[in-house]
Amino acid sequence: MFYGTQGTLTEVQRGIETARGLPNAHYISDDVYEEERDVLLFANWAGIGLGADIPVPGDVMPVELAGMPLFMVRKHDNEVAVFQNTCRHRGMILVEEKCNLRGTIRCPYHSWSYNLDGSLRATPHVGGPGRNYDDNVDRRSLGLFTIRSHVWRDIVFVNVSGAAPSFDEYASKLLGRWREHEQPLFHGGPVSSFAFDVRCNWKLAVENYCESYHLPWVHPGLNSYSRLEDHYHIEEPGHFAGQGTKVYRQIDGDKGERFPDFKGLGKFWNKGAEYIVLFPNVMLAAQRDHGYAIILLPQGPERTIERNEIYYGFDPEERPDLADLVRRNARLWKGVLEEDLFVVEGMQRGRHGVRFDGGKFSPKMDGPTHVFHRWVADKMHASRANASNGASAPDA
Amino acid sequence: MHGDDFERMLEKANANILDAVELGDSEAQAAEYRRWGDLLNRRGRIDEGCFFLTQAYVLALECGLEYADDIQQVLISHGRDRE
Repeated sequence: MFYGTQGTLTEVQRGIETARGLPNAHYISDDVYEEERDVLLFANWAGIGLGADIPVPGDVMPVELAGMPLFMVRKHDNEVAVFQNTCRHRGMILVEEKCNLRGTIRCPYHSWSYNLDGSLRATPHVGGPGRNYDDNVDRRSLGLFTIRSHVWRDIVFVNVSGAAPSFDEYASKLLGRWREHEQPLFHGGPVSSFAFDVRCNWKLAVENYCESYHLPWVHPGLNSYSRLEDHYHIEEPGHFAGQGTKVYRQIDGDKGERFPDFKGLGKFWNKGAEYIVLFPNVMLAAQRDHGYAIILLPQGPERTIERNEIYYGFDPEERPDLADLVRRNARLWKGVLEEDLFVVEGMQRGRHGVRFDGGKFSPKMDGPTHVFHRWVADKMHASRANASNGASAPDA
Repeated sequence: MHGDDFERMLEKANANILDAVELGDSEAQAAEYRRWGDLLNRRGRIDEGCFFLTQAYVLALECGLEYADDIQQVLISHGRDRE
């Protein structure tokens, strides 16, 4: 398949002054999509959902990470766990829809039943009618495959490969940067949750979120109070990238009411706000009075579901006086984020231009985008080098 | 109870279970399976009884019913399950 004037990963890895962006194949090829699924999404810590999706013990919710069936569960000890959503018997999908389970997870095919901790509890008729054991079916070794998970800022992250460093180590630089925001978060409820079904590769959403260069053109409403020169780049190669503003303005209600601030924030956050992508697929905002998370759920090389979720430092259910402001705030963000959709979809279509060469970065304005491209290229390059070494190794 | 009467009741039980399936009422299914599993076992029809009790056991587990453990103990006592 010819995807265009192919740049190379080496060209992406150069300094930004001479680098090119990722080649077209990274946006439109099924093969590269699957390779990136393993190398970028499965080998790192990817976001798949929220603690708020499963608030009560017994709650389960199926979710797919780039086609891999998983489900999240709130166990009886109130901890969140993630399992592969596949029965150990015949590979049937176990959890079809979000629900609350009073007891075990029963496979709808032959009713093999699992406890919420993933252990296999019952294997009905496995030894013949009315005989529920077989010497060759060891229940203790047939629990569900546990997917390594971690909850941070209410986001459920998974490391499918199981080989990444701990989440705290993986995200240590961002945890340190935002340590003042390490405090209870409250989801804004159904009005603060909205999703977009976008015709683009998931990486384009990351790239657009990272940079402020587009703000004056794509979000002209910001120009009156948040000018381009009020923004700065955030670049942490190998970890995350984004942008910050020095003129964050809180939303006001009709009577001048505002959301309460997170507690104990330093002076920087009075007017500062930051918008960061924790690689690979979670886009975050930290502001004095609310934050949000956008989880990118790839649906194929050219389609992505964006889940947008807004959080506060207070429980909105306990502040009905702020309900209208919560609603208005969600509308405001939905409007701003919708303004980006034509851009990411346009860039996706643009990558079918066979003479596109990955693109030329602005050394002054595209730094965060290049940090992400470089992260992708480094990971893919290392993976291909390992595969190549493995292939050439002599048989043991 | 006469044998034919029992078989007719068993058919009725089957109809009750299908009704419960139709309604998505797993607890009712579990209760009906258990009732007939116990009855069949008492009549010495252990294979059929344990089949019914297995159905009851799994549905009771799914519903989080405490008597699931009791059913499992019956199945174990008949050599039909293990801890």
